[in-house]
Amino acid sequence: MKAPEDLASREQAARELLARYVRVVDDPDRIEEWPELFAEEAEYRVVTRENLEAGLLVSVVCDDSKDRIRDRVTVIREFWGAGGRPEDRHYNQVRPRHVVGPVWTEPQDDGTVRVVANFAVWGTLVADPAPRLLAVGEYRDLVTFTDRGPRFRSKWVVLDTGVLQDVFVYPL
Amino acid sequence: MASVLPRTPVGPPLALRWPPEDNRIPREIFTDPDLFRWEMDAVFTGPVWVLVGHEAEVPQPGDYKTLSVGAVPVIVVRGGDGEVRVLVNACAHRGARLVEGPRGNVLKGGFRCIYHMWTYAPDGSLLGVSLPDDFPADFRKEDYGLPRARVAVYKGLVFASFHEDTPPLEEYLAELTEGLDRVLGDGRLRYLGSIKVIFRTNWKLYVENIYDGYHVTALHTGFQVVRLRSHGGQRLVPNYERNGHLWGQSRSTPREELQPVLRDMTLFDVRTKPTTDHNMMVVFPSGVVTDYFDTIQLRYVIPLAVDQTLIEFTFFARADDPEEVVRHRVRQGPAVLGPAGAITLEDAAALERVQLSSVARGDNVVLKGTPKRFPPYRHVDEAPIRHFYQAYRRLLGVPTEEGTR
Repeated sequence: MKAPEDLASREQAARELLARYVRVVDDPDRIEEWPELFAEEAEYRVVTRENLEAGLLVSVVCDDSKDRIRDRVTVIREFWGAGGRPEDRHYNQVRPRHVVGPVWTEPQDDGTVRVVANFAVWGTLVADPAPRLLAVGEYRDLVTFTDRGPRFRSKWVVLDTGVLQDVFVYPL
Repeated sequence: MASVLPRTPVGPPLALRWPPEDNRIPREIFTDPDLFRWEMDAVFTGPVWVLVGHEAEVPQPGDYKTLSVGAVPVIVVRGGDGEVRVLVNACAHRGARLVEGPRGNVLKGGFRCIYHMWTYAPDGSLLGVSLPDDFPADFRKEDYGLPRARVAVYKGLVFASFHEDTPPLEEYLAELTEGLDRVLGDGRLRYLGSIKVIFRTNWKLYVENIYDGYHVTALHTGFQVVRLRSHGGQRLVPNYERNGHLWGQSRSTPREELQPVLRDMTLFDVRTKPTTDHNMMVVFPSGVVTDYFDTIQLRYVIPLAVDQTLIEFTFFARADDPEEVVRHRVRQGPAVLGPAGAITLEDAAALERVQLSSVARGDNVVLKGTPKRFPPYRHVDEAPIRHFYQAYRRLLGVPTEEGTR
């Protein structure tokens, strides 16, 4: 699929990709679909605003290739979820809930679309009766158009808080 | 015993029950708010050296960073004279926090309090106050500097102590210096950034977890999945008669022999060392130093409340590393040993569970390796935990009887 000719359709396709992303990362049963939202050359980064603005290199998550993005699913399923009995690994039983918006889109001259959106991620855990605010920040994404449709070339999750409020299992 | 900081004495919680055996840990110590207050004084402003940073985090004159020593907010700052100092982050006048942000540079202008515009030099001395007319006649700026911790540096590691009786740093560290030497080399590092996260657990549970070699294969499933094992190694407890540091040594399976479960196995690369030997150390009571794989990491354990602890994971390269090595370290460090790393989340989950059920009363029990009374222990033993609590209880004035188990 080529990039749609008119800008409005491109922007609409980028928004729909983001909506799909949210549906996938909010559903622990669909996490295998997450890497396919990315292009073959892609990166997924989670950084704190604090490190970013200080020019420091360290990221919370530095999945700087499609391989590393795919590996994240293996880490979630096999490293954090297997071993003993999966039913004992309650820390893998979090129900994330993304609240995203507003969404800004800016078509670029090269046919990609820059997407910026505010987000908050809540997590409801088996271990805790109260939902937890896991993260607050903004997405800084670049959406490209591949043969198979719109895909993230890069997704930067910029966290407002310098202190993570909790560990998180599923991608933000 | 004399603290550098004046304080209202806090006594031990009256009803606290201490088992005579040093392998039994009463769960109340993870939930008692009165004990928490007592610890903040007796441990963190007691005769200990608290790891507060590495010089590479504040390389230039005026560079500063903030954190807490127990409950005391501090600024770690390099003065115009190049010396690193640790100042209490509270205006000497009416106590407003001077610095809000995590890091910065203060060489120009000094630390200025927003409340009444008192201004301090990077060395903590009071430079000026606003409108000092009608102050008492005996007011002298020299009397209103910021309280300073004692500071000692080893291989660039910056330690603070608020106690006058703390022994000299190298005596305090004892043979742990040998492990620190292995990790830090000549001490010249480059700061790459830090990641801070709140663990929902008591600070002692976080620290004792590092003394515990027993949980490593049981809890950290990722090691099983890639078949990464420790081939020999040991757990030492340097200076166990007094401070009870932890020095875990092990040699892990080389990357070529691991199950290639991940597409990108560079997570487990060791490129910067001749062997896969690594060190995991606790500088009692709250500093962590490790060189796992190619990651050079310090952690600062900062108690926030009886059931919440902030862990700052700080990452370094060597000062002379070529850029591709720096890039490797940046990719590897947080991916293995960070809050979103392959080998950290499980600790948060396990420790939160211990915390949640600490209200169940009773004792946590330490068994593996305890038939031995003294280090060295095997790398899979949890017995070193006893020495952490022995050191802790000595500071609280409720020591265990020697030789009880």
